[in-house]
Amino acid sequence: MLWVDKYRPKTLDKIIVHEDVAQNLKKLVTEQDCPHLLFYGPSGSGKKTLIMALLRQMFGPGAEKVKVENKTWKVDAGTRTIDLELTTLSSTHHVELNPSDAGFQDRYIVQEIIKEMAKNRPIDTKGKKGFKVLVLNEVDKLSREAQHSLRRTMEKYSASCRLILCCNSSSKVTEAVRSRCLNVRINAPTEGQIVKVLEFVGKKEGLQLPSGFAARIAEKSNRSLRRAILSLETCRVQQYPFSNNQAIPPMDWEEYIFEIASDIMKEQSPKRLFQVRGKVYELLINCIPPEIILKRLLFELLKKLDAELKHEVCHWAAYYEHRMRLGQKAIFHIEAFVAKFMSIYKGFLIATFG
Amino acid sequence: MDMEMDIPLPEELEWLEANSHLHDDYDDFELPEPYPEEEEEPEPESHHHQQQPKEPPPKPTLSIPPITIPITDQPLSSKIKINGKKRFRSDSTDSLNCDNVAPSEDKRSRIDSPESEIDEDWLRFSPPPKEVTNVEDSVVFQERIVSRFASEIDGDCIPVTGPGGERVYAKISRVDREDRLKKLDLNLHKIGLISEPINVLMQRVEHDAFMKALQASAEGQNDVILPEAPVMNEKLWVDKYAPNSFMELLSDEHTNREVLLWLKQWDSCVFGSEIRSTTDDVLSALRRHSSVAQHQKLSDRSFLGKNRESRLNKATSSAHNDSDPENNNSKGNQELWNKKSNDSGPPERKILLLCGPPGLGKTTLAHVAARHCGYRVVEINASDDRSSSTIEARILDVVQMNSVMADSKPKCLVIDEIDGALGDGKGAVEVILKMLSSERKSDTGKGNAAKEEQQGKMSSKKRRKYASLSRPVICICNDLYAPALRPLRQVAKVHVFVQPTVTRVVNRLKYICNKEGLKTSSIALTALAQYTECDIRSCLNTLQFLNKKKEVLNVLEISSQVVGRKDTSKSVFDIWKEIFLKRKVKRERKSGTSCSSMSNEFEFLNSLISNRGDYDLILDGIHENILQLHYHDPVMQKTVKCLHSLGVSDLIHQYIMRTQQMSLLVYQPATAIAIRSLVAQVEKPTIEWPKSFQRYRTMVMEKTDILRSWHNKISPYISRHLSTKSFVEDSVSPLLHILSPPTLRPVAMHLLSEKQKNDLAQLVNTMVSYCITYKNIKSDPLPSTPRHEAVLDASVLSFDPPVGDFINFKGYTSGHFVLSLAVKQVLVHEVEKQKILQGSLNRSVLPPDVCNKGNQDLTREDGRRTKSSTSDRASASAESVGNVKTPSNLRSCISNTSIVSLASGSNGSATSSVKIRCPGDAKKPSSGSSSFFDRFKKQSSKGSLNTDNAIQRPATSERDSRPLLFKFNEGFTNAVKRPVRIREFLL
Repeated sequence: MLWVDKYRPKTLDKIIVHEDVAQNLKKLVTEQDCPHLLFYGPSGSGKKTLIMALLRQMFGPGAEKVKVENKTWKVDAGTRTIDLELTTLSSTHHVELNPSDAGFQDRYIVQEIIKEMAKNRPIDTKGKKGFKVLVLNEVDKLSREAQHSLRRTMEKYSASCRLILCCNSSSKVTEAVRSRCLNVRINAPTEGQIVKVLEFVGKKEGLQLPSGFAARIAEKSNRSLRRAILSLETCRVQQYPFSNNQAIPPMDWEEYIFEIASDIMKEQSPKRLFQVRGKVYELLINCIPPEIILKRLLFELLKKLDAELKHEVCHWAAYYEHRMRLGQKAIFHIEAFVAKFMSIYKGFLIATFG
Repeated sequence: MDMEMDIPLPEELEWLEANSHLHDDYDDFELPEPYPEEEEEPEPESHHHQQQPKEPPPKPTLSIPPITIPITDQPLSSKIKINGKKRFRSDSTDSLNCDNVAPSEDKRSRIDSPESEIDEDWLRFSPPPKEVTNVEDSVVFQERIVSRFASEIDGDCIPVTGPGGERVYAKISRVDREDRLKKLDLNLHKIGLISEPINVLMQRVEHDAFMKALQASAEGQNDVILPEAPVMNEKLWVDKYAPNSFMELLSDEHTNREVLLWLKQWDSCVFGSEIRSTTDDVLSALRRHSSVAQHQKLSDRSFLGKNRESRLNKATSSAHNDSDPENNNSKGNQELWNKKSNDSGPPERKILLLCGPPGLGKTTLAHVAARHCGYRVVEINASDDRSSSTIEARILDVVQMNSVMADSKPKCLVIDEIDGALGDGKGAVEVILKMLSSERKSDTGKGNAAKEEQQGKMSSKKRRKYASLSRPVICICNDLYAPALRPLRQVAKVHVFVQPTVTRVVNRLKYICNKEGLKTSSIALTALAQYTECDIRSCLNTLQFLNKKKEVLNVLEISSQVVGRKDTSKSVFDIWKEIFLKRKVKRERKSGTSCSSMSNEFEFLNSLISNRGDYDLILDGIHENILQLHYHDPVMQKTVKCLHSLGVSDLIHQYIMRTQQMSLLVYQPATAIAIRSLVAQVEKPTIEWPKSFQRYRTMVMEKTDILRSWHNKISPYISRHLSTKSFVEDSVSPLLHILSPPTLRPVAMHLLSEKQKNDLAQLVNTMVSYCITYKNIKSDPLPSTPRHEAVLDASVLSFDPPVGDFINFKGYTSGHFVLSLAVKQVLVHEVEKQKILQGSLNRSVLPPDVCNKGNQDLTREDGRRTKSSTSDRASASAESVGNVKTPSNLRSCISNTSIVSLASGSNGSATSSVKIRCPGDAKKPSSGSSSFFDRFKKQSSKGSLNTDNAIQRPATSERDSRPLLFKFNEGFTNAVKRPVRIREFLL
């Protein structure tokens, strides 16, 4: 088991990074009632860990017994019936699923599953906690329709069902849904916090961390705890008695984007753009989200750029990312950005060096 | 044709000078067309000027007289007679030979006859004896005049072109004409196709009639509509003047020949071996494309046939000069071909796929060529039921009726508009493909020996057994790239129709107009032809319509007149070409201002693209190809603009799809046109099909599927924290590093130090919990791995969910360490072992009532596994006690188990016996490791390890002087029985 999973805190008490949030949640839950919750924050900040710990707090260890189900729903949508298949994790107390996997039919999933949960409401002998929890991942990827339908069902079945929503950005969640939830912002851990966690892991594993080494990993981790711990383990595997100047292996896709960026800087021509297109396709093929590609590319380009151009380039990156999110074919827009950059940069080169 | 003729070759000119009387030939073919008087004058003269810039015709007067002869009602024979007589008078040349060519004969023998008679180079090396005998019976009653020069022939003559491109002129006999006319019907297929005794023929005629009746009742419209005498005025001109013979075809000469050649290749298979030898020659002749001298049949009533044929003379005579140097070359070819055709069955590609825009005469060509080669055409077109069940029966009917239909004309299947209906059209394609594939199987099975005995019983039996194609099948489509045709395109011989030249079309139109008495000018006709893009059907329909309305074709207002603009879509490739290719616009001169030409262009492109629809594909194609163009773009501003427009189109597309406002689609062509205005070049672009986006889509699907299935395999405690995004973003690279630690030495297990064993245990644990293992993959190693695996054979052990592929970018070398094969194999073993261990633990723990006696259970489970040693068991059972305490904490418990067990294994020599095996196996990887692992899995799950017994035994005997005994009853439920000591349970 990787350290990421091995040292994942199981209870709210053990949580290191977001201690205050954890304590607040604990208070919230111990008062028997729980509103709908919306966790949002960047990936690798510990949302899921918090949610799991919260569930454990609410239901005890029973919430950790999970089975995987591949459920099929038959949804009656007006004239036709739609078959939907989705993988769910469920314990006796909660159901966890990723509704955006259903694509554009996610709306039916949300409605159906909440109705279903409301139907077989758990009857506790002591008459308490008569609700189930539905954990929805990646709510920001839900279509607008699904979010709208969520709005009504959330209210209607609130007696029997609590929702815990989890997403990266709350801006993609409609106002209506947000206002029905208690929003919990999970920040990306600061580098100091990451260092703390790394040292904790190191202690548990019985490792000798040279001073500053954890800080270096934290610095490289992009403030993602997952990445930091993984990097630590990678370093451990590569060379154990850590040396102070040990190389921390980079992410491969970031290296690749670095290559692309230097390609762009070297030559600005349609031909080069064509090569860049091939490389961007490579990244896209390997499931790297286009937004991340564009951001990283901008980051790499900015590092090499003169200050006076940075502003303009950032503007165009934002412009094209906006269009990319509106559109469908990410490659068009990434490429358009690269072309724009090339054009700007070439114009700049010509202007300065003649 | 005319265009080709216009440029006289130097040799030809010389020759013309030498034999100036050849003009009569020219004049002959021009003159008989009774043009309206005012048009008639400029035409021939212009021809003269074009053809003979140096030398004006010496006797222009001679050319005029024949005009006076009215054509329409005159039978051809008499006409020719008159012509011939006249020419005889005027030319008064010496006639050389006294043989008579039989023009009525089938083309095959016609070409042969001059071959056998004339002593030419190209004939000498292969004088086919059979063919001579074949020919002779026709020669007996027909005299022949053959000459190198038309002028030397007394009377009317036909040009004959030999396989070598040699041209001779054969005299048309006037005397025998009546006889031959009578004989024709009887001889027609006897001489040409089948030489069988008359009684057989008679039978066949009867049978034919019978079959025809059957056919008529069964498939009414399928038979070819033979144009009848042009009496009925109501008939469509298109049908009325449809070409009746091969020579009348308007379509491109090259395509015609190719089709004919292809059909001819079937001869030996369809008609039998008697005529094969002649066929060979004909084929070789056709093959060389030196010329076609297909002579009009006597049955051809049409004057035009004659007319065009003589025009052809001119073309072929020029070709003749060219083809001489090729002779040597072609000799070899011919020999090769002869050899090849000895065992020739049907041609290699059994399906002919004709494609091209409508109205160019694809269907006509198929029909005419098939009839020309002696087939009866059976047509299936879009109006028929084309579901695959019905069509299969029909195709089988046509194609395989060997025995029943043996004595009638063989059939040739023409499937028209095969691209038409998607669902149904596929039916036909499927059936054909099925037949082809079954044929291929049978062919490879039987080998060549069977093939040579084409007509033997064997083969006929074979043919019946497998549903194979034994008749030519011609498929016709408009859009070659229709998705339904994709499989067919690969197996079929594809011919793309090109437009006939405008002059050819105009000539034909003129002829028809004259016949119908419609007054037109050739300029108007040319404009019409250009406007319709040489769609002769549309031209004729228009003309007929005008005729009915008693209107005159107006040159300037063709577009505003009745002519319907073809609402057909061009192929996507054409559209891309249109977008990327800047034309040197001719229209500009006509229309004057550039502004209007711009708008014209816009109109044109707009209609072009919107007719096609499929904007997504079109824009993809633009995106794919745009960067390969060579446009002038110093600061890349054009590129930026283009990509910007593409982005806009993407936005529009997405918006339309989301809101379903299809009416907004009208703005899509505008993007393409805007791009065109930026990048269009004069030079011809190389356009590629947009594959990369499709590839991207499919690959992403594939990879997400891999991820998802892997995600599902991982236990939920881990997988719930991993999304695909975070996996590729954060986890893959470190995971790969962690999974292949460079510190792991490929040595035997017992040689590892304590720490290393711990590491290994950790690694195995990680692999198990992430459901990753190594798997044999028979492929070349990943580009990033080769340096570490120089030793590897064909098979490579790589990660089972191919995790490594996610960082395997093209042109990128990652710094990942790759474990050696031995280590990987060790890991595979360990992982398997761990999985089994966990499985048994799970089984023993999960049922709650069993939990109490988990200890016993576990020992029993372990007991089943022969390889497990006592210490192993002890640790496991110790852990299972722990499990009883905290059953919910299973996951961590398991991990502890494995660690403990492995750690304890290092102490006791007993567990090392298990591990010794692994390096032992690693030493013999060449024995097919995949099979080994399979065996391992199977057997370990069963609990018996025969193979390992031997290695294991010394170790166990060390521990316990009494070896374990077990019996393996394969196929029984009590597969393994072995005595167990009570001591083992108690431990």
